[in-house]
Amino acid sequence: MLKIENLHARVEEKEILKGINLEVNPGEVHAIMGPNGSGKSTLASVIAGREDFEVTKGTICFNGEDIEDLDPEERAHAGVFLSFQYPVEIPGVTVTNFIKAAINESRKAKGLDDMPANEMLSKIREKSGLLEIDRKFLSRSLNEGFSGGEKKRNEIFQMAMLEPKLAILDETDSGLDIDALRIVANGVNKLRSKENAIVVITHYQRLLDHIVPDHVHVLYNGKIVKSGTKELAFELEDKGYDWIKAENE
Amino acid sequence: MDLNEKLLSSFIAFEDKVNVNDEVHEIRTAALKRFEQQGFPTKKIEAWKYTSLQTLLKKDFSIFPSSKSVLEYPEVRQYFLHETETFKIVFVDGQYSSFLSETTHDGVDVCLFSAAIEKSKYKHVVDQYFNKITNQKDALSNLNTAFANEGAYIFIPKSKAPVKPIEIVHFATGTTPQILLQPRNLIVVEENAEVQIIERHQALGNVEAFTNSVTEIFAHKNARVDYYKFQNDSMKASIVDNTFIEQHDSSEVSVHTFSLGGALVRNNLNFYQRGSHINSIMKGVTLGSERQHIDHYTLVHHTQPDCESHQDYKGIYDGRSVGVFNGKIVVDKIAQKTNAFQQNNNLLISDTATVNTKPQLEIFADDVRCSHGCTIGQLDEDALFYLQSRGIPKKEAAALLMYAFANNVLESVRNAALSKRVKDMIAEKLGVKIGFDL
Amino acid sequence: MAYTEEELKKELETKEYEYGFYTDIESDTLPKGLNEEIVRAISQKKEEPEWMTNWRLEAFAQWKKMKEPEWANVHYEKPNFQDISYYSAPNKKPKYNSLDEVDPELLDTFKKLGISIDEQKKLAGVAVDIVMDSVSVATTFKKTLAEKGIIFCSISEAIQEHPELVKKYIGSVVPAKDNFYAALNSAVFSDGSFCYIPKGVRCPMELSTYFRINQAGTGQFERTLVIADKESYVSYLEGCTAPSRDENQLHAAVVELIALDNAEIKYSTVQNWFPGDKEGKGGVFNFVTKRGLCERNAKISWTQVETGSAVTWKYPSCILKGDHSVGEFYSIAVTNNFQQADTGTKMVHLGKNTKSTIISKGISAGQSQNSYRGLVQIGSRAENARNFSQCDSLLMGNECGAHTFPYIEAKNKSAQIEHEATTSKIGEDQIFYCNQRGIDTEKAIALIVNGFSKEVLNKLPMEFAVEAQKLLEISLEGSVG
Repeated sequence: MLKIENLHARVEEKEILKGINLEVNPGEVHAIMGPNGSGKSTLASVIAGREDFEVTKGTICFNGEDIEDLDPEERAHAGVFLSFQYPVEIPGVTVTNFIKAAINESRKAKGLDDMPANEMLSKIREKSGLLEIDRKFLSRSLNEGFSGGEKKRNEIFQMAMLEPKLAILDETDSGLDIDALRIVANGVNKLRSKENAIVVITHYQRLLDHIVPDHVHVLYNGKIVKSGTKELAFELEDKGYDWIKAENE
Repeated sequence: MDLNEKLLSSFIAFEDKVNVNDEVHEIRTAALKRFEQQGFPTKKIEAWKYTSLQTLLKKDFSIFPSSKSVLEYPEVRQYFLHETETFKIVFVDGQYSSFLSETTHDGVDVCLFSAAIEKSKYKHVVDQYFNKITNQKDALSNLNTAFANEGAYIFIPKSKAPVKPIEIVHFATGTTPQILLQPRNLIVVEENAEVQIIERHQALGNVEAFTNSVTEIFAHKNARVDYYKFQNDSMKASIVDNTFIEQHDSSEVSVHTFSLGGALVRNNLNFYQRGSHINSIMKGVTLGSERQHIDHYTLVHHTQPDCESHQDYKGIYDGRSVGVFNGKIVVDKIAQKTNAFQQNNNLLISDTATVNTKPQLEIFADDVRCSHGCTIGQLDEDALFYLQSRGIPKKEAAALLMYAFANNVLESVRNAALSKRVKDMIAEKLGVKIGFDL
Repeated sequence: MAYTEEELKKELETKEYEYGFYTDIESDTLPKGLNEEIVRAISQKKEEPEWMTNWRLEAFAQWKKMKEPEWANVHYEKPNFQDISYYSAPNKKPKYNSLDEVDPELLDTFKKLGISIDEQKKLAGVAVDIVMDSVSVATTFKKTLAEKGIIFCSISEAIQEHPELVKKYIGSVVPAKDNFYAALNSAVFSDGSFCYIPKGVRCPMELSTYFRINQAGTGQFERTLVIADKESYVSYLEGCTAPSRDENQLHAAVVELIALDNAEIKYSTVQNWFPGDKEGKGGVFNFVTKRGLCERNAKISWTQVETGSAVTWKYPSCILKGDHSVGEFYSIAVTNNFQQADTGTKMVHLGKNTKSTIISKGISAGQSQNSYRGLVQIGSRAENARNFSQCDSLLMGNECGAHTFPYIEAKNKSAQIEHEATTSKIGEDQIFYCNQRGIDTEKAIALIVNGFSKEVLNKLPMEFAVEAQKLLEISLEGSVG
C-alpha cells in the first residue's frame, strides 16, 4: 500500500530524513519509534505532502503510484490521513461543518454527489458514539479551546468519518491521560480492517499496549536503524533510547 | 503680546547667547520657520483632539530666567534617588547646576548638551544624531529645536555601561513666576552598550513652569536602554514631553512613565524600529486627581521583520481629572512576523473624572500578531468590601486595589531603589501610609 | 449552515461582477448640476408640500457652507457635484395594479438579481419595496401590513399621505446639517422607504428593500425613515446591488431609525455595489449616514455585510437616549482589489443602564484598505453604561492594510467598557490541516473566513445569511494564490 524508498527530505537547508525505506501492506499496523528530533513527525508530514519539506531523493508510492506531485488534498482524497500531533484551531468553524466539508470534498473528487444529510447525520452519530464524543462537542469550533485529549479524540473521530486507507497517527498518545488513551485506542482498533493500514508514531511504548503493532521500527537521525516485532518496543522501553544512540554513534 | 509672538522675538535675544555660525544653528533656524508656519497645536489636529493648550498658552511665560538662583542640596535631596548611587545632570531654571551635578567622562560621556555642541571633540556625534529623528510636523518639537541649547548629553560607546544609573533632574524655582523651559537631551547608546536613565522635572513652590522637552535616543545593535520618567510635579507645572527613539538590530529599549503630578501633562513617545529582532517597551502608571489633564500619545513604527513591541498603560482618575491614551501601532508591509501588543486599562474613581482612549492599529503586513485591548471600569465594590471586612480602612483598601491594578507595570521596574520610590510616591499621592510590598 | 457547494462553485467561476448589467428604461432625468432651482424642481416633481420644499432649501443652504470631510482613511477623486444629475425616475410612471403592468424589462432586471417579484410574493413573510433608481415602483404585501396598521411605503408617498409623521421625525436623528453628505441628501433626496409600526405591533414579516443605482450619471440619494412606536418590533432588510459602470457613482443615503419606549428595530444590510474592476477602475462611492435613536428600554441592532463599493464611508450609530436602552452593531466588511472601506459605529450612551455591543470583522485582500472607526461615548449622566467592543481583522496577502481607530470617551465612573482588537492572517498550518482532510485551498479559505465572520453572520435573518456567505466567498475569490 505504502512503499517508501531511500527517502531524503530537508527543511530549509537542514536534511532531516536521510534515506528511509518502509513498506506497509493492507491490514498491517506499523509503529515508528524514536527519540525526539529523530525525524518522526517530519516523515509523517512528508507523506501527507506538507510543502515546507523538500524531498531531495527517493520515492513515496501509494497504491503503486508515485505521489510526489500530488497536493495534500489529493493525497487525502487518495486515502491518506494524518492525525496531527498539534491539531490547529479554526475559530468559528464547527467540528460538524468541517467534517461535512471534508467528506463532501473527497466525494466530489471521486465524482460523487454530496453525502445526503440523513446519511451524514447517522454516520456522525455512529462514529461519535464509538469515540464517546458528546453531541455538544460537535457544535464547538474546531479545536478552539479543546483540551489536549479532546483534540486527539477529535482527530480520531475525523479519521473514523473519513475512513482512510492509510492512517498515520503522529504522537496521538501525547497529552492523553489513561482513560482518554483507552478510548482513542479502542476507536482506532475498531477501525482496523484487512483493507486499511495504520502507522503509529510514538515516543513511548504505552500506546502500543492498546494498539498492538505487527512491526516496530526505530527511527534515529533520519534513518530506520532497527526493525522488528512488538518485542522491540518492550526492549526499547526497558533499555531506553541511549542504547540505540550508542549503537549508532 | 501673545506667546507665539513673544517666542519669535525672544529668538533674537537667544541668538546673542549662542554660536550662530554653526550647523546646529542652521537646524534651529529651520525649525523656527516651521514652528512659525505651524503655530501651537489646536484640538483640530487629530493628535491633539483631547488635549487643549489654550489655557496654558494664555500665560505670560518667560523664556529666560530673571535671575540666577542657587539651590542647596538638602532642600532638594528628596527629589533625587538618594537611596542609591547615581550620576546626576541637574538644571535649575534651565541653567546647568554644576554644584548639584555629578557628571563623568570616564569611558562614557555623561555631561551637557551645551558643552557637546560647543566642543569640536563631540562635533561628529552632534552632526550625526542631533535632530535626526524628531517629528518635523510637530510644532512643539520644532519649537524646542529652535531653542535647543541645554540639556543632557549621554554617549555610551560600544560595549560600555556606566557604573551607575544616570539622573536627569530639572528644577524650576520661583524667581521667575512663569517660565518656559525647553531642555534638549541627546542620548546615544552604541553597540552592546547599556544605560539606565531616570528623568524628573520638579517645580518648587508656586512657580508655574511649562516644560517643552525633547529627547532623542539612539540605540544601536544589541544596546539596552532603560528609561524612567518621573512626573510628580506640582499642580501648577505643566509639561509636554517629546521622546524620539531610534532602534537598531536586536536592541531593547523600555520607557516607563509614572505620571502622578502636574497640571497638564502630555507625553509624546515615538519609537522607530530600524532593524530586526528589536523589542520596544512602553509602560505607564497614571494617577490623576483634581483638575489634572494627563495625555499619553505613543507611536511604534515597525519597519522591519521579526520585531516586537509591548505597551501597557494603567490609568486611575479621580477628582475632575482627564486622562487620555492615544496609542498608535504602524506595521509596514515588509515588517512580517511582527508581534505588537497594547493594553490600556483605566479606573474611574470619581463622578467627574473623564477618560478618552484611542488605540490605533495600522497594519500593512499580513503575517503579524497585533492586538490591543482597553478597558474602563471602577474599583471592584465586592473586593473593597472584602478588604474592609478584614479590618482595612476604606481608603487604604481602595489604595491597595489601585496598587494591585497598576502592579503589572510596577513589577517591570528593574531597579529596586527606583521601584520603592515609585511605590512611595503612589502611596503619597493616594494619601495612605502603607508599604505596598506585601 | 446550509451552503450548497455546487451553487457556490458555479458562482465562483463567474469572474466578472455578477450583477454587472444595466437596465435600459426610459428615464425622466433632470439636467446635471446643483443649485436652488434644482432643489425646488425635485420637490416640485414630487409634488411636495411647501414645508418639505423649505426643509430641503434650508439643508441646501447649510450644505453650501460645508466642506467635504477628509478625516476618513480613504483616498479618492472627489465627485464633481455639478456634474451629477440629481433626479432620475423611471418615466412609465407608477401605480400598477398588478405586476403584469410593470415594464417587462424591469421585471427581467429583478430576475437577474435573483429577486423576481413573482418569487418574492410567494416567499413567505417577505414584503418588498423596491427602489429602482429613485422612485418606488412596486410595493407588495401592502395590504397584509395595512391590516396591522403598519405603514410601509416610499418616502414620497409618506410625505403625501402621512405628513404629520414625516414632519415630526425626518431630520430628528440625523439633522440636515449633521455632515456634508447628510446635508446633500436632505436637499436632494429622491426617494427611499418609510416605515411606521404602530404601538404594540410586532411586524409579522421581515420588511425588505433593494436599492440599486441605475441610470448612468445619477447619484442616488435615498432617505429611509423607520419609526417603531412604543412596544413594537420590526426587522428591516436592505440589499444592494449595482450595475457596473465605468464612471464613479455617488451614493449618499440617510437612514434614520426611531425606536420609542420598549420598541425594537433590527436593521440588516447586505451591500454589494460594484466595487470597481481588478485595476481599481470605477465603482460606487458609498457615503452613508445611518443613525438610530433609542428611547426608554428600546433596542436598535445594526447588522451589515459590506462587500461592495469602491469607497465606503459608513457608521451606523445608536443614540442611547432612554434609560435601559440597548444598541448593537455587527459588521463584516470585506475589501479586495483596490477597495477602501472606512466603517464602524458610534454608540452614544446618554441614559442610565444603557448597553452597547460592537462586533466588527474586517477582511482585507488584494491591495485594499480596510479601516474600523468607532466611537463609544459615555455621557456624564449615563450611570452604569456598559460597552463591549471587539474588532478583528484578517489580512490576506501583503499588499493590503487593516486599520483600527476606536475612540472611547468615558465621563462617568460607573461605566464599564471593554475593547479588544486583533489582527491576524490565515495560517499556513490551518490551510495545510484542511488540505490534509481533503479540502482544497480555495475552499479552506472560504471555510476559515466564514468561521471568522460567524458571530456576525449568525445575526442575519436566515435567507440573508446564506446570501451574505456567498457574497463573502465571491468577494474574496482569487485573493490568495
